[in-house]
Amino acid sequence: MDSATLDQLNELLDSDVTLREKIKDEVAELDKKTRIMAGTLNKIHSTPPDLILNLLDVVRPTITSCRDNMVNLAAIIPPNQFWRWKDMWSNSLRASIFSAALVEYLSNRTLITLPQVCEILGIDDSWKDRLTLPVEDYLHGIISLVNELSRLAINSVTMGNFEEPLKISVFVKDIFAGFSMLNLKNDLLRRRFDSLKYDIKKIEEVVYDVSLRKLAPTSTSTTS
Amino acid sequence: MISQQITQAFQVFRMELDDHNERRERLIKASRDITNLSKKVIFLLHRLVMEESTGGKDTDPEDVIRHAGAKGRQKLTEVQNLYSGLKRELEGDRFWRYERQVSPGLQEYIEALSLSHFMEHGTLITYDQVQQTLSDSSGAPHFLLPVYDYLLGLSDLTGELMRFAISGIGRRGGRAKANTICRFVRSCKADFDRFTPYIRDLAKKQAVTVQSLEKIEDAVYAVAVRTSEYDVPPELMDDIVALSVSNYRKPARIGERDIGGDREGE
Repeated sequence: MDSATLDQLNELLDSDVTLREKIKDEVAELDKKTRIMAGTLNKIHSTPPDLILNLLDVVRPTITSCRDNMVNLAAIIPPNQFWRWKDMWSNSLRASIFSAALVEYLSNRTLITLPQVCEILGIDDSWKDRLTLPVEDYLHGIISLVNELSRLAINSVTMGNFEEPLKISVFVKDIFAGFSMLNLKNDLLRRRFDSLKYDIKKIEEVVYDVSLRKLAPTSTSTTS
Repeated sequence: MISQQITQAFQVFRMELDDHNERRERLIKASRDITNLSKKVIFLLHRLVMEESTGGKDTDPEDVIRHAGAKGRQKLTEVQNLYSGLKRELEGDRFWRYERQVSPGLQEYIEALSLSHFMEHGTLITYDQVQQTLSDSSGAPHFLLPVYDYLLGLSDLTGELMRFAISGIGRRGGRAKANTICRFVRSCKADFDRFTPYIRDLAKKQAVTVQSLEKIEDAVYAVAVRTSEYDVPPELMDDIVALSVSNYRKPARIGERDIGGDREGE
């Protein structure tokens, strides 16, 4: 190779290295926030129902502050290279999706939609080829939500909230039905989906315990 | 979302995931086809040189090699057509989504292309030249060639060159060619060394390149030592060897592919 070619290749490779460093720094920032959110949200297992909304209000600003990192990432990633770099932040992104989904469920008792997550995290549709929210990551976040809710079902009973497991049970079954519609291939998502049945089983057992002992309120609105 | 909306949302997800998985499968298949075609071209190149070199004194061995390289290049347009057909599948941000599926075929293609290029021109094909073969007639690339695949494809070339040099050593002009290849592979190794910090897989392939280089060096050494015992010009050596081979046709095939191919001449 002549020196011009060598320099050309070196330049290309060098710019990739610089880009990787920049992304790494940005993801580290994002990661810090996801840890703070996870730490705060972990308190739902020991917070009485009337204080839950206050707790969620504490988390919300951190979730929306992720927008800054998203804007920065979108600015760094070269056009059409989203998929080249996305593995670097998908874990942090999934963690943020999970936090957003948990806050949404506990405040409104509904499943957060993919467009809603984009809205909250400030992921702009016009960035599509540089930064977007893939279905796969959204689904990972939702599975984490179910994992967390199976714990909450147990812990809320411990705190004397016997209605919670019933609500969770109905919600999680809808999600499970949704996942069952997908043709998943043998990857991480598939394995995590397979593990959902254990969460459902766990929640069912709590519902069983609670109903058997007539601890749960018998209102028809929560048990469909 | 209420349950009905959840169902609807997941229906959309299913479509998206199915679409992605199907495209992925198609690209894996295409990549496999490209790998096979490229491998065939590499065999073809070796075979062409071997078959056409059996001609008489009047064929210039360099011409034979150039000719083989050109044929290989023509044959590789089949692969280029496959890539142009994949253009839509790899459009926009899709290329990087499926890079892992595309990469093996791409590297094999670059290996075949660089071997035919070396035979035809005696040089290492440049990044821009490879990119040009992966572009349409107006010069618009089907996708941007990653440096990673370019370098890894090239680092496989040295193994083929080793085969080419050693199997050719018994042929007319083969000893001189082996020397050229030896120098060429040595400079390739030096060039690639610069890039190993950037590309992890390249370091592994460099180890193979070093082995190939040593094999060529040993062969070239053996020739040099033996030639030094005779004070004749290299062309005359070729003639002596060719004569012995043609006079003693039958067992000659045995030694054809190994270093000892020139022993009959001594």
